[in-house]
Amino acid sequence: MTRRMIFLAIACFLLASPIFAQTPGGGGGTDFNLPAAYLAMGIASGLCGLGQGKAVASAAEAMARNPGAQAGIRFALILGLVLIESLALYTLVITYVARYVPSH
Amino acid sequence: MEHESEFFLTKLFNDYLSGPANSVLTAIGHPAEDPQHPWGNWLVIELLVVAIIIILFAMLRSRLSADKPGTFQLLFEQIYNFVAGQAHDAVEHGDKYVPFFGTLFIFILFMNLIGIIPGLESPTMTPAVPAALAISVFLYYNWMGFRAQGVGKYLAHFAGPMPWLAPLMVPIELISHLARPLSLTIRLFANMFAGEKVTMTFLSLTFLFAPAIFMGLHVFVAFLQAFIFMLLAMIYVGGAVSHEH
Repeated sequence: MTRRMIFLAIACFLLASPIFAQTPGGGGGTDFNLPAAYLAMGIASGLCGLGQGKAVASAAEAMARNPGAQAGIRFALILGLVLIESLALYTLVITYVARYVPSH
Repeated sequence: MEHESEFFLTKLFNDYLSGPANSVLTAIGHPAEDPQHPWGNWLVIELLVVAIIIILFAMLRSRLSADKPGTFQLLFEQIYNFVAGQAHDAVEHGDKYVPFFGTLFIFILFMNLIGIIPGLESPTMTPAVPAALAISVFLYYNWMGFRAQGVGKYLAHFAGPMPWLAPLMVPIELISHLARPLSLTIRLFANMFAGEKVTMTFLSLTFLFAPAIFMGLHVFVAFLQAFIFMLLAMIYVGGAVSHEH
């Protein structure tokens, strides 16, 4: 079922191939900077959400199992969340850089 | 590029102190793009934060008392205990490094929080300020490593546990060490910059509640990012200073 979905998604992307058609008047190449940056940001945020979800889930379970160790587990949770968050933020910075790369 | 409105102190600095600023900038080879306004908002607000911290601690110093501590002293004792406790966990003999970590924490915290005041902006929103902090942390932990273990033994660390692993370990260790100031910079800068941008975006879309919620999140992130910067500095110093027993 998942493999079918993936193929369907790729087919939908390929449906957009008219974007490669030559514009009348001999325009330049298509500029993929911004759309690519938006897509990258979306993927980065989604994966960051998955990773942080796993971290919070295991931290909550550990705190439920061992209420005495809450301080240490909370500390590890916060540290882990911040480090995973910073990966999505690197992509955000690249998004801002992509606006100023000259299109060709 | 049209700059944001000038903070009134920046305007004062630009009116009276643009001469020395321009000569310093040309002396180091980077003349200002706009010689009328060499002082940026971020630099003036950073100096303002330094002045506020100095005045705050001078007031604290004059009220220190062992018998009858006031609330001011108790508050700062809590902060000190927090920083010193973290330092002892992360680094052996952590007491020697507490001044640096404490300064880092308080400085970054005040710089992050001063952006909440309307009309001022966080100096940590410009990439230059977190970059300078990250470079100072990099130089500090390497210097502490040299001091604690000697130059030869500290550099031998990079070769890894076995000598024959050295050709593989040295490039990996070098790259990971160089990535540390980069990640510190981008983490602090992107969090502060994104926090302000998100608040401004919601302010342009709606008003009152949604921007206030995001501003609250920004305050929480300001505390968290200052703590994380200090914590990572401690971890790096701990890694540099630790002896293998």
